[in-house]
Amino acid sequence: MSEPVRVVHYLNQFFAGIGGEERADVGVSARPEPVGPGRALQAALGDAGRIVGTVVCGDNHAADQEAAAVDAIGRELAALRPAVLVAGPAFASGRYGLACAAACRAASALGIPAVAGMHPDNPAVEAHRQHVLIVPTAESATGMPAAVASLARFALRLGRGEALGPAEVEGYVSQGRRRVWDRGRPGYQRALDMLLDKLHGRPVVSEVPFRAPDRVPPAAPVPDLSRATIAMVTTGGLVKKGNPDRQVAANATRYHRHSVRDLEALTPAGWEAYHAGYFNHIVNKNPNYILPLSFLRDLEGKGAIGAVHEWMYAMPGVSTPVAMARELGRSIGADLREARVDGVLLVAT
Amino acid sequence: MGMPVGMISAIYSFALTTGANRVVRGARIEHVCGDPGLGPEKDYAYGMRIVRAALHALTVPVTGPTLFDPHAGEAEEDAHAS
Amino acid sequence: MRLEVGSFPVRSIAFGSATRWADGRLTVDKAAALAEVRRDGRIVTADLEIAVPGESVRIWPVRDVIEPRVKVEGPGQCYPGICGRDVTTVGQGRTHRLDGMGVVEVSSVNWHDAGGDFVETYLDMAGPFAAMYPYHRLQLLCLVVEPDPTLSDESRNDAVHGAALRLADHVARATVPLTPPGREVFALPPCDEPLPRVVYVWGVHSPQAMSGSLTAFCTATYGLTQLTPPWVLHPNEVLDGALTGPYRTAFAMSWTVANNPLLLDLCRRHGRDWNFLGVIVLRTEWTTQHEKQLAANQTAKTAAMLGAQGAVVTWDAGGNEFIEVVRTIQACERLGIKTVFLTSEDDATDGAPTMLEPLPEADAIVSTSFFKNVTLQVPDPGPVARVIGLPTKVIRRGSSVGLHGGADAALPTAGTLPPPGRYDDHYGFGSLSAIE
Repeated sequence: MSEPVRVVHYLNQFFAGIGGEERADVGVSARPEPVGPGRALQAALGDAGRIVGTVVCGDNHAADQEAAAVDAIGRELAALRPAVLVAGPAFASGRYGLACAAACRAASALGIPAVAGMHPDNPAVEAHRQHVLIVPTAESATGMPAAVASLARFALRLGRGEALGPAEVEGYVSQGRRRVWDRGRPGYQRALDMLLDKLHGRPVVSEVPFRAPDRVPPAAPVPDLSRATIAMVTTGGLVKKGNPDRQVAANATRYHRHSVRDLEALTPAGWEAYHAGYFNHIVNKNPNYILPLSFLRDLEGKGAIGAVHEWMYAMPGVSTPVAMARELGRSIGADLREARVDGVLLVAT
Repeated sequence: MGMPVGMISAIYSFALTTGANRVVRGARIEHVCGDPGLGPEKDYAYGMRIVRAALHALTVPVTGPTLFDPHAGEAEEDAHAS
Repeated sequence: MRLEVGSFPVRSIAFGSATRWADGRLTVDKAAALAEVRRDGRIVTADLEIAVPGESVRIWPVRDVIEPRVKVEGPGQCYPGICGRDVTTVGQGRTHRLDGMGVVEVSSVNWHDAGGDFVETYLDMAGPFAAMYPYHRLQLLCLVVEPDPTLSDESRNDAVHGAALRLADHVARATVPLTPPGREVFALPPCDEPLPRVVYVWGVHSPQAMSGSLTAFCTATYGLTQLTPPWVLHPNEVLDGALTGPYRTAFAMSWTVANNPLLLDLCRRHGRDWNFLGVIVLRTEWTTQHEKQLAANQTAKTAAMLGAQGAVVTWDAGGNEFIEVVRTIQACERLGIKTVFLTSEDDATDGAPTMLEPLPEADAIVSTSFFKNVTLQVPDPGPVARVIGLPTKVIRRGSSVGLHGGADAALPTAGTLPPPGRYDDHYGFGSLSAIE
């Protein structure tokens, strides 16, 4: 029988019995034994694990003095030398959840595996799940027994150095690390099984969980178009005629920028579309359909806009992974900000 | 610190669902800013309406993905001109 | 509609003095078969080759793989409507099929010349790449065929595909006077029990948008490739080849369509697990939001009018075609029709959503893994001893084949090649998936 796994438990001021909201400013401290729900956690660990210490921190302190708190937690962990850190469960409490995530990060920085428990809708989940192992719990402390049992199971496996399988199999919150996986049965059979489950009201676990696209806060509006410099970007695969830059037609890993300083419009003699996702011939006859230079020059001439920015940016959008698109967008955005562009027209095909 | 982007797309609902904040309805994927089937003058006028709507969108505060109608740009331009 | 399908297993193919089937052996009279192929004066060169499972052979370019099927009784002609064939509604009577083989259409003819769509599929018969697809278990009779190069794209496509179908007809006809060793009846009789009523919503790419043509060659419904409102098909029509012709991926072939395991299970378990109402074909790649949403609404409405309580949904393309498919799912769900979506996934780097337009109504998804061979990290298939077809493969800069950003390259077909761009198991033949 091997040595019991050394576990450190992280709690906030409330679950440690220090006090409620009014004590949320309390700094980091440690006690050499299980505290509060830690006693249930110890019972769940049985002889296989031993809580060698409980680290406590006030939720407000962890939020407002995060760097200092993480530092202090790290020092306590270094002194306690656990094989694993268990944080929470925080249930639906957002600040406690964030503090648990911070504690887990402090542990990871020391090479100590860590697991936090909280409700899947806890705001800390979306913010930190990619880097923090989170097991789902109920919304409130009525779910304590199940939460503690789950945390104990994961703690023992992590403490023994076991690698975990995928989230879908093991039951922890997905960390967004989607990978190839052989499910052992043909897709058509799984689809028909899932259909029957759905039709008969049985629970269904989608093989692809819903993941909402990112939101970006909208930028403030342009106050005065007549004094604004407007830039154009297109994902329609616009290239110089003959594609001398040898841009690809799909799966782009870069964009090209072109000067329109001396151009009143895009002409078929100078430009064409090279994009594997749509019929290019119409744009080839009038490239302004995907980069509206002719229109903007017209409006610039009338004073409706201040100026057309000298540089326009082009790439084929088709087959671009989101991560690549983000990178390309950031790069273009940085360029345009440096050039003090006021607003952008982006044409997509 | 950011700058507003007026996105012109023929598949505009998709642009909204995936988080573009200022979206203008384009004509068709194959010819976003205009329609060659209308003949040169009307094609240009249509493209101009779309572009004006996109520029108008740049001047409007929004709180999230918002669709702008190419015909609204026309009305706005008339208002500016007077 | 009642269709009896007689299956004749093919365990070997050999050339001989007459085209006949006996005890699992298909003998092909090469001269007679090629005479059938050459009946169309547009054909300039044609030859036949045989590829067998386990052989170190690579077939390139693969435009289609067709299972030979022939009507023995009942109206119409198998693989109706395409290439000028009879458009009479099929799906009744008796059909014979050669089971365990495919006619492979090997030709340099590309789908159309508008750009963006290229024939990219090649097939190996041995090795890990071969094992990803069902064809390496089949006896393959390859028609290596070229048409008059001065003809239009559509004419050349029509010529070579028609030729492949005539070859398939020729070998299938050998079974007409014979008694099939295996027989199965396909019918959808009224169900006694109140079983759940389900439809199969089948997204099928139309080449209309990419080619700028209403008649460009591609997967067809009774020979029509253009964008149309949804088609209601009886599954027997699909078994008789009404949905035919290939698209870009190895899983989009006439063979996989006629042998679609999802469709077959829906048919076979009718009256036991569900009441299968039929197939609704949603043609895809509309190019305005308005049209995409309309196609989705009307497909869902059609399902509702048929009485569907559930729908399983597949598609055979990529890119913006996802939109009308997922919005069909959304429209079905909003009408109370419970959906399951069988689909591949896009790149997941940095935790990005792998559905192009994630909609919460698409809440029951079965994944056939990432569609890009690059994402699947499929190793480059290695050298082979024999090539059927062209000696070189052009790797087009900017085609969806990998990330070849340099100049167009022509690599020897017999050497190591990058895999085609997409894996994409449209009908869930395999168990490859993704997880997080």
